[in-house]
Amino acid sequence: MPSLLVILPLLAVLLLNLPLNFLRRLAQPAALLFAVYQALFALQVLPAGCTGCPTHERWFVNVLDPLTSVLLLAIAIVMFAAVCVLRATASDEKHGFNALNLMLLAVAGMNGLVMVRDLFSLYIFLEIASVSSFLLIAAQRDMGGLEGAFKYLVMSALATMMMLASIGLLLAYSGSTKFMVVAEALHAHGSHGYLLTAIGLFLGGLLIKSGVVPFHGWLPDAYAAAPAAASTLLAGIVTKCTGVYTLIRLVQDVFGPAVATQQLLLIFGALSVVVGALAALGQSDLKRLLAYSSISQVGYILLGLGVCGSANKFAAQLGVAGAVFHLFNHAIFKTLLFVNAAAVEKQTGTRDMNRLGGLAQKMPITGLTSLLAMFATAGVPPLAGFWSKLLIIAALWLAGLHGYAVLGIAASLLTLAYFLSMQRRVFFGLLRPEFAHVREAGWALTVPSLLLAAILVGVGLALPWLIGSFLLPVKGF
Amino acid sequence: MTKLMYFAILLPAVISLLALGTRKLGRVCGATALLGAVVNLVVALKLFMAPETAVHIPWTSWGLDFTLRLYSFSGFIVLAAAGFALAVTLYSLPFMAKRAHSGLFYFQLLLSVAFANGAALADNLILLLFFWEGLLITIYGMIAIGRPGAWKSALKALVLVGASDVIMMFGIGLTGHYAGTLTISKMHLALTHAGPTLAFLCLVIGATAKAGALPFHSWIPDAAVDAPLPFMALMPAAFEKLLGIYFLARVTLDIFVLTPASWCSTLLMTLGAVTILVAVMMALVQTDYKRLLAYCAISQVGYMLLGIGTAVPVGIIGGLFHMINHALYKTGLFLSAGAVEHRSGTTELNKLGGLARQMPVTFFCFLVAACSGAGIPPFAGFFSKELIYDGALERNGVFYAAALLGSFLTVASFLKLGHSAFFGKVSEANKGVKEAPWAMLLPMLAIAGFCIYFGLFNTVPLHKLIQPVLGAHRLEGHDFAGWPHSIGLVVGTLVVLALAALHHFFGVKRSGSGSGAADHVRGAPGLRQAYDAAGQGWFDPYVIGMKFARAIGAVTWGVDRTINWISDGFAVGVVAMSSYLVRAVHTGSLSIYIWWALAGLVLVIVFLVKVN
Repeated sequence: MPSLLVILPLLAVLLLNLPLNFLRRLAQPAALLFAVYQALFALQVLPAGCTGCPTHERWFVNVLDPLTSVLLLAIAIVMFAAVCVLRATASDEKHGFNALNLMLLAVAGMNGLVMVRDLFSLYIFLEIASVSSFLLIAAQRDMGGLEGAFKYLVMSALATMMMLASIGLLLAYSGSTKFMVVAEALHAHGSHGYLLTAIGLFLGGLLIKSGVVPFHGWLPDAYAAAPAAASTLLAGIVTKCTGVYTLIRLVQDVFGPAVATQQLLLIFGALSVVVGALAALGQSDLKRLLAYSSISQVGYILLGLGVCGSANKFAAQLGVAGAVFHLFNHAIFKTLLFVNAAAVEKQTGTRDMNRLGGLAQKMPITGLTSLLAMFATAGVPPLAGFWSKLLIIAALWLAGLHGYAVLGIAASLLTLAYFLSMQRRVFFGLLRPEFAHVREAGWALTVPSLLLAAILVGVGLALPWLIGSFLLPVKGF
Repeated sequence: MTKLMYFAILLPAVISLLALGTRKLGRVCGATALLGAVVNLVVALKLFMAPETAVHIPWTSWGLDFTLRLYSFSGFIVLAAAGFALAVTLYSLPFMAKRAHSGLFYFQLLLSVAFANGAALADNLILLLFFWEGLLITIYGMIAIGRPGAWKSALKALVLVGASDVIMMFGIGLTGHYAGTLTISKMHLALTHAGPTLAFLCLVIGATAKAGALPFHSWIPDAAVDAPLPFMALMPAAFEKLLGIYFLARVTLDIFVLTPASWCSTLLMTLGAVTILVAVMMALVQTDYKRLLAYCAISQVGYMLLGIGTAVPVGIIGGLFHMINHALYKTGLFLSAGAVEHRSGTTELNKLGGLARQMPVTFFCFLVAACSGAGIPPFAGFFSKELIYDGALERNGVFYAAALLGSFLTVASFLKLGHSAFFGKVSEANKGVKEAPWAMLLPMLAIAGFCIYFGLFNTVPLHKLIQPVLGAHRLEGHDFAGWPHSIGLVVGTLVVLALAALHHFFGVKRSGSGSGAADHVRGAPGLRQAYDAAGQGWFDPYVIGMKFARAIGAVTWGVDRTINWISDGFAVGVVAMSSYLVRAVHTGSLSIYIWWALAGLVLVIVFLVKVN
């Protein structure tokens, strides 16, 4: 029953907070167990898609289509990694327990978010996920964390206002917040200025949530300031769910692939790809570099989504498939990189790349998996990231958007450039004397690293099976 | 019989590895090599006796199959190669005994035998190419182990032969495309359209370059000086001619149908005539025993090309007969050069002289081989050249005249060589020179014997070896064995021989020494400048190619630096500048970020409303 994915974490939070000490010790195993359950559930429904799955349940509308299943799987994987990171990095038991509760709440929010088909329910779950994230970022209570959380909070509030206003307008016009009803209303009277403003407001809110240039100001500070486990969850999946997934879902199901929407997505996507990569090139803080890299990669997803309204139906299908695939891949490799950043920070005490170097000798697993993640992000075959970028660029080319396709390829070089620079400054080169006694991080960080790296390689190699079974059916024409 | 074909390829290869393994053991290694050569000869003899057979193993798709075919021609080539290999191996035992890398030499010698057998037996163009390229490696290796600095000559050989092989590869690709198969015996292409003609020309270039014709010849004289001498006797004198002319014959007879009417035939004949004349002119003025022989070897390829290029039966038979004769006498001549080098320590003609008395057997062998090469009756070379003259005359008198002129110069250069090495005064340094050891004399005597035997009893080689290649229907009932049919041709040849002798005596009288017999040619107005230019490498395709390559290199270096600047200087600068600007606007101020977001929102709404 899909609703369990929302109910179980909420129930867990309630149970764990009963005044019974032994329950607290069960918290992390229970969270890991839940992640495994969710992953298995997602894998089980993934090939079937929405056929044979319940579409309506008692409390809220939820549907399992391939897009939702992919997101559920990604949430489960990232949650697993984040809980492992939490175990390795939590400063004390109380802090760790609090963070775990917040994570469970965030996961409940995201699971609900990807399953609902109603604008207002979507808004509720989106806020559950966001508010849990603010608290996660601020949990460390140092200046950086508070500043990052504050920026995220203010910008999110802006986004919330926009989206709520938009929902109000749409409700007033169509009389419902259900996707189907709103979509029909928009289809009938789409060019009405009033409705266009509503769409624009919603898009603006989602672009803030996704961290797309120029709506991205909060993102680098929030990612860099958050504690390791929080940044893993935040960068890995929260932004993807609250921003990018919702954007894909609404553009596909509600707003419809209008020409104007498509052009906006392409423009902001291209801007993000380039500005994110250029900004990443000059960073010296490892996590800040990863944050700008996220902005750049989200730009690719937007480019793929921007083909959705193309007259070339195959290109449109390919573009959306590429966007969703890249969303999944990005969740995996960005999580992996944040896990590795956590490992580096934990073992050396710094994230300043100017002070690091040669760590691959001392931390071979971290060094190797980070290399794999970097190649996957830059799009080196046969890793997963190559195929998703290829789909996006092929779709752009087929749709006649040659300039954007070339830009996508050129920006791959920038991606490779900043990641190579990162890899060289952190893992290669000479080992500094003060790090002579650094050792590989413990299992709680290496196991998720290896798992995520294996997924990157496995998904890349298994592409021929994946492309027909769930990538292309994502957008069912 | 199929097993025997495998043996012919595998046994020499396996024994070559044994030789490699025992290379530190001196005599054991030599004995192993001798054993390998003997075994190979036995296998080759059995193959030669065996009936026509083929083996076909599907290998990969695209027509690339492991196909071997034994028939009269390939059996003949394998047998001849085995004979030469044995002679040279036996000869090398004393010659290489005191030299460095003798083990490596035997290893590569046997490996070359394996490759040569494979190339002769292969019935698939790609398979043939595999063995063909294998020989390129052993050519490089065998030259490189010569005297110090020989790697330069080895590199030159590698580049020139490699370049011709690349052209041949292209030709193989084209041929396969037009024929629809890569199996040689199934090919039968007419030279009527441009595509097949281009393929034909590429294959011809590959074959003739292997045989040592112009313009891929210039590594041979260099190698003659630098490589160990048995290499010269084995490869450029015997194997390369056998395989090159063998493949040329297959190309012109089997794969394509060369007719006298085709301009390709004229082209081949012209190439042959030019090769004859240019190379022999160079031979005439050489002052080193081995270099002279090397140029002469190039020149003789011209006769084979001319003969096969005539595309009439008498010319083809003459060309093929000349191939085996030339392999015999040129190997014999190189071996005599080795004997002289072995005893006197030099091959420079100025320092030699009067060796006929000290080394009578060597001199005898030289004399027989030289007579055969000069085309003096009744030695073997006379008969093959007469056949070629006959074929050339049937096509055009010009080619006949060129061939005769070539003969004149060949005789002149042999006279100069023999005179300066074996007659005249013995130099101080050579006072104590003795006859070569028996292991060197034996192969030379055997070869000299064959030079006489193939002449006096030319029915045997022509009936048993050469004429079956064309087959009865293409011979049109002719039999070319026995004394030449045309008395006129014989008279012409004899006149030329006499003239050459007169020319030699004139030259000797003019310069006062045997080695200076051609000095008047060297110093003739017009020719002197040409020789000087040749001496500086102006006509050497390798030198020209290297100059060209260096020029290209300079240009591409400039282009490379420019691109490098664009990518490493300019582009990096632009990216770094942009990166700096992007970072500069990210001040961390929340209010600025909020303004950005609001501006973006306005943009979104305005855009949506405007576009709709």
